[in-house]
Amino acid sequence: MQVAVIALFFGFWEIAADRWIPALFVSRPSLIAATMWKWMLDGTYLRATWATLQATLLGFVAGASTGMVAGYATGSWPRLGVVVAPIMTALYTLPRLALAPLFLLWFGLGLEFRVVFAATIVFFLVYYNTYFGVREVSGELVAAVRIMGASRWQLTRRVIIPSALTWVAAGLKISVPYALVGVVVAEMLAGSEGLGYLLAKNAEQFAAHATFAAIAGVLFIALAIDALVTLVTRRALKWKTMGAPTL
Amino acid sequence: MRPDTALRDESPVLLEFREVSFGFTEEEMILDGFNLSVGAHEFVALLGPSGCGKSTLLNLSAGLARPFAGRVLFQGEPVAGVNRNVGYMTQGDTLLPWLTVARNVLLPLEIRRSPVASRRAQLAAALSLVDLTDAAAKYPSELSGGMKRRALLARSLIYDPPMLLMDEPFAALDAQLRETMHAELLRTVNRTRSSVLFVTHDISESILLADRILVLGGRPLTVRDVVCPPFGKNRDLDAVRSSVEYARLEANIRSVMYRPKTSAELSLAAVPA
Repeated sequence: MQVAVIALFFGFWEIAADRWIPALFVSRPSLIAATMWKWMLDGTYLRATWATLQATLLGFVAGASTGMVAGYATGSWPRLGVVVAPIMTALYTLPRLALAPLFLLWFGLGLEFRVVFAATIVFFLVYYNTYFGVREVSGELVAAVRIMGASRWQLTRRVIIPSALTWVAAGLKISVPYALVGVVVAEMLAGSEGLGYLLAKNAEQFAAHATFAAIAGVLFIALAIDALVTLVTRRALKWKTMGAPTL
Repeated sequence: MRPDTALRDESPVLLEFREVSFGFTEEEMILDGFNLSVGAHEFVALLGPSGCGKSTLLNLSAGLARPFAGRVLFQGEPVAGVNRNVGYMTQGDTLLPWLTVARNVLLPLEIRRSPVASRRAQLAAALSLVDLTDAAAKYPSELSGGMKRRALLARSLIYDPPMLLMDEPFAALDAQLRETMHAELLRTVNRTRSSVLFVTHDISESILLADRILVLGGRPLTVRDVVCPPFGKNRDLDAVRSSVEYARLEANIRSVMYRPKTSAELSLAAVPA
């Protein structure tokens, strides 16, 4: 059914191009497919995808790890949380794009800029999820394990971390696509490689077919990354779905 | 009419409260010079209205709270810090949802860093005690309410504590399941020979289970009456429930529990802490 809808859509697009809509703006599927094929063969896709993936991965790891540590620290020491809260809120509300020129100034046009830009987006998503995850740990569970004679470290390891993990996993899951968005935007703003660069460059030259081909590349990695994250989080949270009615 | 006293009088005292005072503020005392002793393999029910301070007695016994004055002794030693010689079970579902039944039941041993070599045998014994051997690999979300209770019981008993502290452990269950759990609890503690300090506000539950019932009133906590149901350790709960003695005890306790405070109790409560 979905396949039929998509096929119908592409069919309509192919016919409509240059009949009802100028092909300059929307190109046509056959041309896009040809461009994609060409890029696949000459290594354009491979190089751009690798650049984007590399920055996404680094940005994700940097943002997620600092976000988890900061979220855990502020979540488990309420006094620290109170002090840091207004600062975090201010930084979180600030549109990240506004920081881009500053980051460019600091880090230049290279990989660092893209990584830092993606990391700042990922950081806050993971930070808030970890923070709430730690705060939301059931007091009843903590008390029950404390009665067994658990030390503070044992409580952290046995109860607080596993319990917060549901939230953290949710934070990680939503932040992976955002890391990709961050990198692509950074590549579009300033850069000389990656899918975002490919996209922006072709759009500037009114090459709609190549722009669509670049978008297809972004879509492909986004779907691949999402599938990977779903697989990982599902394994980690197996206990949650066990016994729950399956669809 | 105290046929069970022989057993108690011969058995050593396990838990003792000596003139214990406790409160969350200096002005309103929950306990004021409270005395209590529980013998080995004795089942004591603390029966009283909500908020009278029953749970406070359990928390003091478990070492989760410290008395303002007086002493709480366990096996003759003052309780200092968390009392590792008791098992504690509340009405809450405190199984860790991300661990299987087996891992949940093993948790106290892991926290105590008990010898790894004997853990497998201890786990098998604890699970078979509550008849959960087949559910070892299941997650809590896959268990019924009764199975969860049994898993919690196994977790409280796996390190062979001489005493179980139970705070309305079956309050969240439906009546039918509660009856099953009563029988299972008695069977289990008769096998492990643990003492039980059992908090409840259900008169019938206290008569069915306990060797000794303290009928309590608050605040500060007072013992209004001590009742010893004469049914023995290996009681048949269905027979108890239909006995004349049961009905008589229930009526007695009811009249004590719901009567207004006596002048002695009122004057006692009026004394400033």
